[in-house]
Amino acid sequence: MNKKWTILQDTIITAGILGVCLAVSLGIRNVFHTMDLIPTIFVLAVFLISLLTEGFYYGIFSALFSVMAVNYAFTFPLFTLNFSFEDNLVSGCIMLTVTICTCALTRKIKHQELFRAETEKERMRANLLRAVSHDLRTPLTTIYGSSSALIENREILTEDQKLKMIRGIRADAEWLTRMVENLLSVTKLGDGDVHLIKTPIVLEELLDSVLVAFHKHYPKQEVSLFLPDEMILVPMDPLLIQQVLINLLENAVRHAKGMTSLSLRVSVTGGKALFEVIDDGCGIDQQKVQKLFEDGFGVESFSGDKKENTAGIGLSVCATVIRAHGGQIRAINNKDRGATFSFTLNLEDSDHE
Amino acid sequence: MNNRYKILIVEDEENIRTLLSALVEANGYQAIEADNCEHGRSMFTSYVPDLIILDLGLPDDDGITLLKEIRKESLTPVIILSARSDEYEKVQALDLGANDYVTKPFGSAELVARIRSAIRNTRHVLDDCPDGTFTTGELFIDYGARRLFLKGEEIKLTQTEYNIVALLSEHCGKTLTYSSIIKAVWGTPDYGSTKKLQVNMANIRKKLGLRPGQNSYIVNELGVGYRMSGPQD
Repeated sequence: MNKKWTILQDTIITAGILGVCLAVSLGIRNVFHTMDLIPTIFVLAVFLISLLTEGFYYGIFSALFSVMAVNYAFTFPLFTLNFSFEDNLVSGCIMLTVTICTCALTRKIKHQELFRAETEKERMRANLLRAVSHDLRTPLTTIYGSSSALIENREILTEDQKLKMIRGIRADAEWLTRMVENLLSVTKLGDGDVHLIKTPIVLEELLDSVLVAFHKHYPKQEVSLFLPDEMILVPMDPLLIQQVLINLLENAVRHAKGMTSLSLRVSVTGGKALFEVIDDGCGIDQQKVQKLFEDGFGVESFSGDKKENTAGIGLSVCATVIRAHGGQIRAINNKDRGATFSFTLNLEDSDHE
Repeated sequence: MNNRYKILIVEDEENIRTLLSALVEANGYQAIEADNCEHGRSMFTSYVPDLIILDLGLPDDDGITLLKEIRKESLTPVIILSARSDEYEKVQALDLGANDYVTKPFGSAELVARIRSAIRNTRHVLDDCPDGTFTTGELFIDYGARRLFLKGEEIKLTQTEYNIVALLSEHCGKTLTYSSIIKAVWGTPDYGSTKKLQVNMANIRKKLGLRPGQNSYIVNELGVGYRMSGPQD
């Protein structure tokens, strides 16, 4: 599909440029009665075609075509093909050389661009791995350390101490679980070439699952819910969107310092469902707002602060998931206090086949 | 001590098997262990367990194969334990007759609740006649009169709505997939019947006054189905 399109496009470019070139040359010949300029014009045409099209074929074809055209229509004797003149042969060679050089050069540039993009992706992946490994090490230390201590010192430790350590193990294991779920979502989406399986999900049921899961981790945090009365179906991958909402709520709990109320609001406008997570905490640092949802999730500011980085991973997962759904995600500071994280989902499944 | 329920644990990871055994024994059941499908099959025939906890990723074969074989000859409740959390996998296992599906990592309280409810349900289905009554929390269903009460007050449901709630309550604690509910309530599924079910569920929730996040009575398994939560869930 894509390839066919490229071929069609390149053919049109080649035909167009050659056509324009022929017309200009004919004009010059008929108006100025000179033909000295014409080979130069054709060299330019061949150069442009080699530059704008894919591969060598179009360039070589137009070079041959130009030699013929110049020979046939713009050199004496007019309207005959004559290869006996040495300068005709030489001009043909020059045009072919121009083509091949241009094509080789453009190829090299394209290759380099691809290479650069690859390296960039690699770098991001390495950054992600580094951040993740670092993040995994902290809870693993607790789990490994506490469990070894429990085995080795089981007679010395008091029941109270034991319970405390076991609770620590559980808390860190829970944290690891959430981390792994986020990473799984990212791998499920891979890079770019995504095939999401969307099913129509009832909004109320989605929010029910989200709140139940959220309250498992944060039983004390109240979430005020605002949603339309009528039943609304939104096509989505439910587990991924559930993850996004949990991440956004969790982000508010962890980072909106001084928060007294947290709300989740859903509204429907213009064929879209708008989800908003609103807090009245400390708001977001203006400089960070732009970078919040970027793929690199600010690993540059990698400070070894555990909380800082998990927020990054959580939010970058949100961005990846929402983009894969064809929606938009953004974060803004509220006029009075706190911040609003919002995203949209289409109510109609646009990539329905 | 021989009248304890026997639970067969089919799981290849030794650590998880040990944990499950300890958990099951601590809750008053008797644990039998198997580490692959083959072993699980022979244990199932020789011990006739009351419940099976089955891992899907086993070294010799997929746990789903064992589930199919067990379902051919018996109704012994099966709880699937798996690291795969795709809705598709869940629906497949539930439609093949698994009673429940627990995703790793799991909380011990959650697993024990599922085990209890699976054992109770098989007994409930076997012992009680369908025109008895059902109670969970403040919800009361009179199957004979086809009436439903919440906090002592009758809730007026349509025929279809009642059928759905009654079906869920009969399988209380077990997740019923959309397609199995549709088959039981309307017969053959067609295009749009999932939506029909979702609309009815929305009305039921409204009539029962269930608010999102309260997790009361009817649990959503997104993209999979619905489950009525039992008294101990």
